[in-house]
Amino acid sequence: MASLFSKIFRTGLVTEPFSPVDADVERVLEAISARTRNLLGRALAIREVDAGSCNGCEIEISGITGPTYDASQFGIHFVASPRHADMLLVTGPVTRNMELPLRKTYEATPDPKLVVAVGDCARTCGVFAGSYAIVGSVDTVIPVDVFVDGCPPTPTAILTGILAALDRR
Amino acid sequence: MQDLLFATLAIYVLGMISAIVLRRAAGRAAVAVFAALGSSMGAAAGVSVLVSGREVPLAPALSALHPQVQLQADPLGAVFLVLIGLVAVPAALYGFGYSKSYEGRYSLAALGVVLNALLLFLTLTVTATSPILFLFAWEGMTLAGFAAVLTEHDRQPTIRAATWYVAISHVGFLALVVMFLVLSGGDLSASFADIRTNAESLSPVALGAAFLLALAGFGAKAGIVPLHVWLPMAHPVAPSHISALLSGVVVKVAIYGFMRISLDLAGAGPAWWGGVALGIGAVSAIGGVLYALMQQDLKRLLAFSTVENVGIMLIAAGAAIVFRSYGLDELAILSIVACLYHALAHGVFKALLFLGAGSVLHATGSRDMEMFGGLSKRMPWTSAFFLLGAVAAAALPPLSGFASEWMVFQALLGGARIADPEGGAVMSVAAGALALAGGLAAACFVRAFGITFLGLPRSEESEVAHESPRSMRAGMGLLALGCIALGLLPSVIVPLLARAATGVEGRGAAVPSMQLGLALATPSGLSSFSPFALATMLLVAAAAIGLSIRMLQGPFRTRLSVTWGCGRFGQTSRMQYTATAFAEPLRRVFASVYRPLEDVSVDYHPDSKYFVYRITYASDLRQSFAAYFYHPLLLAVRIVAMRVRRLQSGSVHAYLLYVSLTVLLVLLVARVWH
Repeated sequence: MASLFSKIFRTGLVTEPFSPVDADVERVLEAISARTRNLLGRALAIREVDAGSCNGCEIEISGITGPTYDASQFGIHFVASPRHADMLLVTGPVTRNMELPLRKTYEATPDPKLVVAVGDCARTCGVFAGSYAIVGSVDTVIPVDVFVDGCPPTPTAILTGILAALDRR
Repeated sequence: MQDLLFATLAIYVLGMISAIVLRRAAGRAAVAVFAALGSSMGAAAGVSVLVSGREVPLAPALSALHPQVQLQADPLGAVFLVLIGLVAVPAALYGFGYSKSYEGRYSLAALGVVLNALLLFLTLTVTATSPILFLFAWEGMTLAGFAAVLTEHDRQPTIRAATWYVAISHVGFLALVVMFLVLSGGDLSASFADIRTNAESLSPVALGAAFLLALAGFGAKAGIVPLHVWLPMAHPVAPSHISALLSGVVVKVAIYGFMRISLDLAGAGPAWWGGVALGIGAVSAIGGVLYALMQQDLKRLLAFSTVENVGIMLIAAGAAIVFRSYGLDELAILSIVACLYHALAHGVFKALLFLGAGSVLHATGSRDMEMFGGLSKRMPWTSAFFLLGAVAAAALPPLSGFASEWMVFQALLGGARIADPEGGAVMSVAAGALALAGGLAAACFVRAFGITFLGLPRSEESEVAHESPRSMRAGMGLLALGCIALGLLPSVIVPLLARAATGVEGRGAAVPSMQLGLALATPSGLSSFSPFALATMLLVAAAAIGLSIRMLQGPFRTRLSVTWGCGRFGQTSRMQYTATAFAEPLRRVFASVYRPLEDVSVDYHPDSKYFVYRITYASDLRQSFAAYFYHPLLLAVRIVAMRVRRLQSGSVHAYLLYVSLTVLLVLLVARVWH
């Protein structure tokens, strides 16, 4: 027990200081932070919906919460239920199996709500276009505020999209 | 005053006759009117006895029939006369509407006769002044209850329940006969006054035996653990207004009998009597509520809760015996008052709950809680009344259950004054048991109300459920008023009950200084509470919470949408929180008590376990008492019976031999005896 505590004491903090990949990201994050504080008075709550994505976009989205972008400290918060969400982040072409859940998720999100469709597939269905399993792009199922292009889009692009959606309010 | 009680009995007889003579609505109305009139007159007689404090010898007209037929309403019996009136008037009113659904299916005449006969024998039981009369009335009550349980006589569970009920009741009856024989020195027609003097000359062993027999005999009727098994079977299958009487009044009359013997006729008992009663009471209280928590059948849940409340009354009665043996008369009286108050409170709220469950049964045709849900929208009155009853049953202020259980607690906490360490320890353990039972009861009634009335309907029957007719609502409304009055006015009622308690005390102890103000204080100045202040505070707090929610809500508007279920397909109301699921955490905690049996079977695709066709889950509680106590007992009885059957050879010669041998034996015994 004593050795454990002395190890903790001797090691100290090992987290690195925030080092953004570029100045642009920091600017976007600061802008989001200011805008949400102004708009909501608290952190922005986002519910992510995978409507049929290849998970490329998900990897980039999870990068947002990683140490490099560290969006949590700028007041971006991913939540487990649409009941708690201000914004939906939808990825992928909408598959038949996800059409109803997507509608229900949109329905369950309290008004006023924002929808950001992430990735090329969300707008054009990408390589999946024409498949029997696909219903269509995200905006054929629910109203979309902002599209983020890219296959997959970078975290910076996604954050810029989030900021653009916030600025529509 | 004498005429009032005589008129009560006569009116019940009229009710029985009218049930046979009149048909349909007229018959139902006459039965209800006579039952309500009779019981309210009985209650009026009871109130006048309590207010004047004088015993009322009853009905010279009856004594003219036979000099042995002496009825008397003393303060202790008067409390139970009042209880009969409190429960029977609303139950009769309710029964007018409720029994309409029995028209054409079962005999309304029989139901009407049974209702009035039950009330008649209940009144006789609490006014009897000799063992023979008491036992007659007691047996009449048992048989009337038996007939009442058998109303829906073409169903297998009903027959089974009635058989268990009548069997255990008669074992109890046997114990009572022997107990009275011991106490009266063999003369069952002696009056209670003679028994009181006779008991003083009895040895402690004989008195102790009489006490244990009384505990077993009355306990069988009251439903104490382990003699309770019949109660959760029999009470639910009776028509609901009869269930209300069985659970609200009949078990209380058993408590009356127990108090009459252990606190009055048998004189001041030693502390171990109280200890035994306390122990059995604590086990009944916890056991009853633990099983109540697990029930899916709404009326069965209420019946198990009756077992719990009988346990609480027994705890209070046991505490009274203990306190008296240590000479702490004030605390003894407080315990008796608490016991009587809980008898009244439980009678009223349990009757209300049974009537509420009856309305739900009436509307949906089911007693299974897993089929209910959403009834508060469809049956607003019933659900409001049931909620009130549930709050009282969970012993929350400011309703009746809180006032009575508060007094039981105060009495038990007074156990700190007992000089003996054992006595104090027993009291504190009992207080702990009572606290546990109270907490579990709250969980139990949150579940009973929430699953039944809130959420969405889980079946088509609940979807189209309808509110009860006016007479049924009126019955429930009266009982709801009773719950509120008993919760708010203990300071008025307690001094009256104290009169009954001092009568039981029989030592001429001073009436304790229960203050007749707005607040209720215990005699020793241990503590006090004001039900009105409490009620006002709760109302103000509720209003404040409502107002602050409205203010916090701000400018946002409310939008109604479907419950969020992770966006799943085919979401139905069957996927709501169920009664079983609600009780599951407690079932795990108390698994060593319940010993649950669980069976999960999964049907796979023959080629792969990843394709599941069907999952079935079945679960049941092991009925420990039935499995480990009653089944071996019944087996033994059956083996003995089979042996005895060999005597029945069917040959006349053998029977002649039996007769001559018996005569010879009797002669020999007579010879040796003298």
